[in-house]
Amino acid sequence: MAFVLGIDVGSGYSKAVVLEDGVVRSYAVIPSGGDYRKAGAAAAKEALDRAGITRANVVRTFAAGYGGSMVDFADDTSTDISCHAIGVHHLFPSVKTVMDIGAQYSRAIRLDDAGRIANFIMNEKCAGGSGKFLQVAARILHMNVSDIGELSLKAQKPVEFTTGCAVFAESEAVSRISEGASPADILAGIHNAMASKIVTLAMRVGLAPDYAVTGGGAMDIGLVNSIGAELGTKPLVPAHPQTTAALGAALLAWEQTKK
Amino acid sequence: MDYFAGVDIGSTMTKVVIVRGDKIETSLIGPTGPEHRKLANRVMEEALGQARLSFDDLTYIVATGYGRINVPFADRQITEITCHAKGLQSLLPSVKTVIDVGGQDCKGIKILNGKVMNFVMNDKCAAGTGRFLEIIADSLGVPLNKIGEISLTADKIAPVSSTCTVFAEAEIISRLATGESIANLLAGIHDAVATRIAALVKKLNVEPDIAVTGGGAKNIGLVKALGSKFGRELLVPPEPLITGALGAALMGKDIYERYAAEGQRPSRSGKKLEEATFFA
Repeated sequence: MAFVLGIDVGSGYSKAVVLEDGVVRSYAVIPSGGDYRKAGAAAAKEALDRAGITRANVVRTFAAGYGGSMVDFADDTSTDISCHAIGVHHLFPSVKTVMDIGAQYSRAIRLDDAGRIANFIMNEKCAGGSGKFLQVAARILHMNVSDIGELSLKAQKPVEFTTGCAVFAESEAVSRISEGASPADILAGIHNAMASKIVTLAMRVGLAPDYAVTGGGAMDIGLVNSIGAELGTKPLVPAHPQTTAALGAALLAWEQTKK
Repeated sequence: MDYFAGVDIGSTMTKVVIVRGDKIETSLIGPTGPEHRKLANRVMEEALGQARLSFDDLTYIVATGYGRINVPFADRQITEITCHAKGLQSLLPSVKTVIDVGGQDCKGIKILNGKVMNFVMNDKCAAGTGRFLEIIADSLGVPLNKIGEISLTADKIAPVSSTCTVFAEAEIISRLATGESIANLLAGIHDAVATRIAALVKKLNVEPDIAVTGGGAKNIGLVKALGSKFGRELLVPPEPLITGALGAALMGKDIYERYAAEGQRPSRSGKKLEEATFFA
């Protein structure tokens, strides 16, 4: 039995995945907070605890992500883009286009038939297509981000936002609420605005089926549906969409132990 | 002599100017609320009161700005870009390029003889608009009308790397926590806004003189930061908010004089200053 560990320290959340002989044994997702070194270690500890092992049992650790270089006990690091690609290809070998919606960034990755990265693009300049927009929406409506998806499914007539800017959409949402729009209609409108930004980003790397949506944004069923409507087909979503890059990092570590 | 009025309903502020001949008789600025129509009436009433005029003393009224269709008592609607060019020509005739920084948008306008040659506009993204400065002022707890002066007291520009308003706000808060001074951060913020606006306006063939108008022109820090991006001092009209409304009033005068030259007098078509119902 050989255990390996993959860690992805993101701007919003840190994730860890433990593999036992190449098979997922446990995973953990915790908020990153202000200290990436601690966040990486805490995510690792939680995943190891769940697997019932300690760091001493791990033969190799790979770290990735925004704060991946801060994980001082990692044997090696890789970029979160390549780890994403590896993780998604492992879960869904047919996927060619990945849309990853993180807390602050969204990315689009184009994979070739072998699962190698053909192209990728990142949006770090605008909150419009990122999880931050959902946090803004949650704040205006006084609700939890995790409840947005379900509620948005009750929309009767989604609000049409005139811009994809999170700041302008916030003012627009407040005006629409004062005119009587329901929270569900507001949320569905925000999902549509975000989906349009995200799919536009993906078009720049070249859209090709199958599609996958990953990252925290993929846990929002309303957003995934809006992206599906924009694409004209339903995208695939991993069971634990936040952990694909950590899974990829763990798979890289496992590959190396086999050599 | 005849009186002409211009009403400019912007996203954030509503402005009225009444002119007599080529001179400004009175001007008034009030915040734009959700109900444009009621507000347009009220601001017009106030302006008339200030000028000691009655509604019937006005010969022609032109509405402009993003809420221009919501001025039922206006005789004509004209886009704010056209009105801006007209207003600027009367205030600062040497100006060939105008940078208008509004509450929720930003425009660059090339002018020749009071006419619009070309323009660029951003109303899709809050970065580079007054909204950006408003949000940052709010999160720093500094009044919006003070941020410009404070930014000039900086000992260095603390660079702000985020373009997006949402991210910049978070960046500012974390930089405050690490001990950066408010003045230095504000210098960084003004530099960031100026960079963004300059990138937009430089899509035009920028020619001097360059003027700044709109609420952003009241911010001395922004005017200086913009000046450094264009390598020259920028001109600012005495009241930079009313350029569009002034232009609208002057456009009204031109229209009226064209009619008059043909011996006609455009009727005010029985328009009254009264509360309009939405679907009337």
